[in-house]
Amino acid sequence: MDNNEVLLKVSNLVVHYETHKAVVEAVNNVSFEIRGGETLGLVGETGAGKTTIALAIMSLLPKNTGRIVQGSIELGGRDITSLSAREMRAVRGRDVSMIFQDPMSALNPVMRVDAQIAELIRLHRHVSRLDAARQAQEILKKVGIQPERAGEYPHQFSGGMKQRVVIAMALACSPKLLIADEPTTALDVTIQAQVLDLIRELKDASGTSMLLITHDLGVVAETCDRVAVIYAGEIVEYGTLEDIFDHASHPYTKCLFATIPSLDKDVERLQPITGPAVNSADLPEGCSFCGRCPQAREICMTHDPSQVEVAPGHLVKCVLAEEGLL
Amino acid sequence: MSVILETKKLQKYFKTPKGFLHAVEDVSLQIEQGETLGIVGESGCGKSTLGRTILHLLEPTGGQVFFEGKDITNVRGRELKELRRKMQIIFQDPFSSLNPRMTVGEIIGEPLRIFRVTRSREEYSRRISELMDLVGLAQRNINSYPHEFDGGRRQRIGIARALCLGPNFIVCDEPVSALDVSIQAQILNLLQELQAELGLTLMFITHDLSVVRHISQHICVMYLGQLVEKAPAKELFTNSLHPYTKALLSAIPIPSIHAKRERIIIKGELSSPINPGPGCRFASRCPHATDLCRETTPELRELGPNHFVACHLAGSAG
Repeated sequence: MDNNEVLLKVSNLVVHYETHKAVVEAVNNVSFEIRGGETLGLVGETGAGKTTIALAIMSLLPKNTGRIVQGSIELGGRDITSLSAREMRAVRGRDVSMIFQDPMSALNPVMRVDAQIAELIRLHRHVSRLDAARQAQEILKKVGIQPERAGEYPHQFSGGMKQRVVIAMALACSPKLLIADEPTTALDVTIQAQVLDLIRELKDASGTSMLLITHDLGVVAETCDRVAVIYAGEIVEYGTLEDIFDHASHPYTKCLFATIPSLDKDVERLQPITGPAVNSADLPEGCSFCGRCPQAREICMTHDPSQVEVAPGHLVKCVLAEEGLL
Repeated sequence: MSVILETKKLQKYFKTPKGFLHAVEDVSLQIEQGETLGIVGESGCGKSTLGRTILHLLEPTGGQVFFEGKDITNVRGRELKELRRKMQIIFQDPFSSLNPRMTVGEIIGEPLRIFRVTRSREEYSRRISELMDLVGLAQRNINSYPHEFDGGRRQRIGIARALCLGPNFIVCDEPVSALDVSIQAQILNLLQELQAELGLTLMFITHDLSVVRHISQHICVMYLGQLVEKAPAKELFTNSLHPYTKALLSAIPIPSIHAKRERIIIKGELSSPINPGPGCRFASRCPHATDLCRETTPELRELGPNHFVACHLAGSAG
């Protein structure tokens, strides 16, 4: 894939969950692009809508409640929101694949791991059973699982090894885009370091692009090229690693950094983000962060700011940016 | 400062079909009055089991526990119940550690009823209100149920319950691991304020190294049931001596793009804690392991002021 070509283009995406009690506005007007070979980090807290965006791209939103209300998702120039279930099945696993947070529930507990991967290969490629089995062994070897263990069942592996199997499965058909939803949150730090290194190595070797969903800014700093900070279903700040880590501009991004205890600086008191988390079923009229924002003013309560480009490629959605005060 | 809690060669084994699982092996440590001792390690290293064994939620297999100078290893019955007034625990998961069918007031007040602390209904309600104020819960929530709250406020209920009987020692078992960073900071600040106000001694169990550095004065690092290093908090981060501690510290992702450091990736995963043989338990993953490491278990040695390491090679040329 050419490095400058846009692989994934999400434009004005709006996703709602509808129940008979309320409409939850999970994703509100989100737009971003991922280029070939690039990694975009999607950062935010629980309930910000990170996973919903991933599920919308995979077309895996819960059937009865989740709905793409507006917007388009283009993968390699083709809008995949309008594909039929059957056409989407051909895309999923071959062009886009996903690594889930919890490796145990992502694997079939009553199927040997090599068979699970071979099944996927046979679904997307016309190869014989024997070839599929051989390819499955090969990819398992790449993620560090020796052939003598390939015939075991998921429960025989530890958490880190299971996540390796899931990674092998996601990369089995060399997808163009890999979506990793909190791939290391369930793992210990030393295992996390192994798994992140593995993902990075394999991704670089195959030129795959990645959408990495996480709440850990440390993981972002080590893995991503660009970052989108998401709050209440909106991208509040978007830019390169340098824009976000050295020139964080949105009050929410700044707050996020201030809440993390530092490993090398002494801080007497942490600065928590005060106020209750926003309720996506009842979003405020103005800026959705204004209830917790230390810099909020009266205008923030009623006026919903639009994204402003404060530097080339660095977008901030805040009244302060609109007024040129950042 | 005086030592409030001490363990000597504390052991806890669990019987499994394959043999004995050595969850806590010969752990000796001391906690001073009013300090916070952090216990770090990865899942399965025995840190929670250690906390629970100290509190008698699990019975120790061997070794001794001293609390305020008194041997409490074998206390039972009424004596044990009295001990609960002084030693409490805050659990990791604020979702499963609160009874969903009790109101906030009932949960916080339950210890008062069990220990018959309050003499009248008024005193009972007043004490509950005081506790709710102390942990920052609004009075109007007294009749709400746990499911009506978010994780952070649920954890505040758990903290109020632990403080109810006026304990002086609290084991905090991963109290912020289930929370978002913004909420985590609120709870950490609350714990520090309460500690200063009430003179509490905390044993803070966590896998998050940045949290433990922030909150503790001393840190113990555990690996597969054994204490491998104990040092003052800042010292551990600037001058760690055990190879496992070094690898652990180098594996933490740092939220900065200027942090340049060498990462020590340790190969493999934890070996089995069931019927472990002699020798250092980290030897199979340790890049510096020698035959000595595989044959004899290293003892904790003091290599700097208050800095203890269980490694044959630490301090020598290697």
